Amino acid sequence: MPEIRVTPLGAGQDVGRSCILVSIAGKNVMLDCGMHMGFNDDRRFPDFSYITRNGRLTDFLDCVIISHFHLDHCGALPYFSEMVGYDGPIYMTHPTQAICPILLEDYRKIAVDKKGEANFFTSQMIKDCMKKVVAVHLHQTVQVDDELEIKAYYAGHVLGAAMFQIKVGSESVVYTGDYNMTPDRHLGAAWIDKCRPNLLITESTYATTIRDSKRCRERDFLKKVHEAVERGGKVLIPVFALGRAQELCILLETFWERMNLKAPIYFSTGLTEKANHYYKLFITWTNQKIRKTFVQRNMFEFKHIKAFDRAFADNPGPMVVFATPGMLHAGQSLQIFRKWAGNEKNMVIMPGYCVQGTVGHKILSGQRKLEMEGRQVLEVKMQVEYMSFSAHADAKGIMQLVGQAEPESVLLVHGEAKKMEFLKQKIEQEFRVNCYMPANGETVTLPTSPSIPVGISLGLLKREMAQGLLPDAKKPRLLHGTLIMKDSALKELGLVEHQLRFTCRVHLHDPRKEQETAMRVYSHLKSMLKDHCVQHLPDGSVTVESILIQAAAHSEDPGTKVLLVSWTYQDEELGSYLTSLLKKGLPQAPS
Amino acid sequence: MEPEEDWLVESLRLYQDFHAFDLSGATRVLEWIGDKGVFVAGYESLKKNEILHLILPLRLSVKENQGLCPERDFKVCHGGFSDTSVFDLKHVPDTRLLVTTGLPSSYLHVWQVTEDSDVIQAVSSIAVQQKEGGLWPRVAIFSSTAPRVLHGARLRSLNIVDLETQKTTYTSGVSDSEELSSLQVLDADTFAFCCASGRLGLVDIRQKWAPSENLSPGPGAAGGRWYADVGGRGPGPSIASLGSNGQLCLLDPRDLGHPVSSVQCSVSAPSPDPELLRVTWAPGLDGCLAISGFDGTVQVYDATSWDGVGSQVDPLFTHRGHIFLEGSQIDTAPLVTTHTWHPHKPRTLLSAASDASLHVWDWVDLRVAS
Repeated sequence: MPEIRVTPLGAGQDVGRSCILVSIAGKNVMLDCGMHMGFNDDRRFPDFSYITRNGRLTDFLDCVIISHFHLDHCGALPYFSEMVGYDGPIYMTHPTQAICPILLEDYRKIAVDKKGEANFFTSQMIKDCMKKVVAVHLHQTVQVDDELEIKAYYAGHVLGAAMFQIKVGSESVVYTGDYNMTPDRHLGAAWIDKCRPNLLITESTYATTIRDSKRCRERDFLKKVHEAVERGGKVLIPVFALGRAQELCILLETFWERMNLKAPIYFSTGLTEKANHYYKLFITWTNQKIRKTFVQRNMFEFKHIKAFDRAFADNPGPMVVFATPGMLHAGQSLQIFRKWAGNEKNMVIMPGYCVQGTVGHKILSGQRKLEMEGRQVLEVKMQVEYMSFSAHADAKGIMQLVGQAEPESVLLVHGEAKKMEFLKQKIEQEFRVNCYMPANGETVTLPTSPSIPVGISLGLLKREMAQGLLPDAKKPRLLHGTLIMKDSALKELGLVEHQLRFTCRVHLHDPRKEQETAMRVYSHLKSMLKDHCVQHLPDGSVTVESILIQAAAHSEDPGTKVLLVSWTYQDEELGSYLTSLLKKGLPQAPS
Repeated sequence: MEPEEDWLVESLRLYQDFHAFDLSGATRVLEWIGDKGVFVAGYESLKKNEILHLILPLRLSVKENQGLCPERDFKVCHGGFSDTSVFDLKHVPDTRLLVTTGLPSSYLHVWQVTEDSDVIQAVSSIAVQQKEGGLWPRVAIFSSTAPRVLHGARLRSLNIVDLETQKTTYTSGVSDSEELSSLQVLDADTFAFCCASGRLGLVDIRQKWAPSENLSPGPGAAGGRWYADVGGRGPGPSIASLGSNGQLCLLDPRDLGHPVSSVQCSVSAPSPDPELLRVTWAPGLDGCLAISGFDGTVQVYDATSWDGVGSQVDPLFTHRGHIFLEGSQIDTAPLVTTHTWHPHKPRTLLSAASDASLHVWDWVDLRVAS
């Protein structure tokens, strides 16, 4: 079936639960396995029943690919592999493999400990799930089996994020995951070669936006920090640790001197430990074949940024502190927050999304009174700022990527079809490709015309060449011949196997009866073909392997017998040999 | 990188808010729809152009708790394709219709922005009676229950056409071939015109053509190309006329013959592309106006204390963002193609440049800041 089928899984039109099923040339691949952060019940998981209807997941899926460590792309993975059941390979890049379990465990703790959820995956499940992971390098072709291969491309966005090419024979699909086409300070931009896949699947959550420049986001961050510090306030920036912290540290370090600021900037100890680990991951990741222009310095040695000590939180005067964890749900960042929340000169800058149930989520929703442990109420007087730094591709970015990869068709997931008709037309017009926008649960079928390599017998080729015309790639010529296909291909196409038998008539002068002729043939062949199985069947016919020889009287001349020799295509050689042997005549039988 | 970073640090002091965007194509159009949406449109001659209906970043529209809103991006709410270049676009108030004009100039195009699809559809075309070759008709809208389109490339081709019936309801009826540079509807019965020569007129459409004009050698005597805007808040003169030589004249509509004041702006004159000249009165500040079209800057002037003729004036504020932030084309210096004031936020402007950049900025009045 030359077609590619794509089904985004999950119920409803909501974004945030990335999980896409792709069927390509008989192979089934699941792309990402994300969690929807807005729901507390089963709606947060993709609808796997679509696949499980067909039986065991492990039998049905050839592999699972995870694009990066954000929870809306990998959050449902332990649930999927350990609670629904999947034992096949899970592919992801090395940094993703290192960071995923940390985030999953964090998320598990929040869900179970903070929100008291039951029926959630356990720490052991996370560990068991990660045992199924096979890590890949960028631009490395990985053979999943002898037909299916995958390759990861640099996606920017976050550490370890990759776009994946899935290839079977001449058919291929590229899945982008999340990516950005404008470089940021420490990760650069996504890049792909002119791989010309049949289909490019891209996230379109931000497809209908025009993104504010990175410069202006940075400017806003600097302005807020500057304002707080100028009025003597303390600035807390909770970070997950890896990536965002580096980006913002580089930014502050670059401008602190220019802005003539003397306030100290601190990096909490938990971060420094993780930073070394991150640095190792980062260096191997970015040492791949990607442009290194943005890696100009060691990102963990700063002039103005010092290690934080818990005691510093009580020091008078302005300061900026980066502390972990990022959603203010526990640990040092929460401790510092509690100390500083009551002073309106202070500021907390949240650089990203916070999961429901965390203090981060509450203050971003506008809550100014928080109930802490022991029924203590914390009044939040400090300024709360929500800044989004995560880099995604907007309409322009998507157009750039389509221009780079040159796919035959484009598929947009996670957008609302009604609100994307203009983008669909834009893509179709500019690149002359088809653009699809399936809803969750809706399958898109793309017909493909795969090129099938065919072997041609020399004789047939020579006969065609003898016609004098030179082969021309642009002018297809019609060739007549017989196409032989192997069993599995026949089965896949649902065709009936045809058996080819050749027949030849050999005339023999023999006045005796047919049965005697047949007997003579049998004796003769038995003595000549000692290596083959020669049999004389009860109905008078002689068989040599699968070759059948029957004797009959000539209709007009009783002195002539006609030997009907028939053989299958597979026994062509033997059949020809037999025919020529019989044409030489039978030896005189002793009477 | 250095000058860009220096400017960024400076900008902390100079602007409250600042947003910079890259459109897929440069625009000469910035037309408001309500106070949250703007239209932009491409003006390329050899390829399809896009008309976009953009919603302002939420962060700018939010009244309180601005800090809790991380949304800094424009949302493309609707988009359409135009085979012709679009030099001006007007929204027909209280409808979902748009009128565009550009080159080739044989037609004005009418479009509809629908609710159930995000594609802006071409609805009809209004034929322009006199073909003008390289000139394109200026357009203004008389809004009423039966909206009418005022259009013309020259004084003699000024017409008012009923949008629905396409019947002409008014013509200038003159043979004057002076080229127009702007048209502006002032109320249900009056419109203002400015010719490229600097000749200004106010027309009452209830009468046969008899505009009050500045016929005596006015600012136009200096030569160059002119553009005017009628508006202004506060007690002073309400007509501003900007010349490609950098001269700015303020006039009172009751006495067009004698400008109230005429100043020389601090710009590098003459403008490299006088068709891009823009002067706009601030809707939220008394006696303030903005000019662009000379280079990659937008300048804001406080005209309240101007008098006399010929004095050199300095701007209250100069927006240099288009020069310092890299646009899509780095080799040629960008030229600001148009700018507009936000309807409510007194110091917020939008500006667009030839490198397809679009800025939204809220400048700080340094006289007031401590």
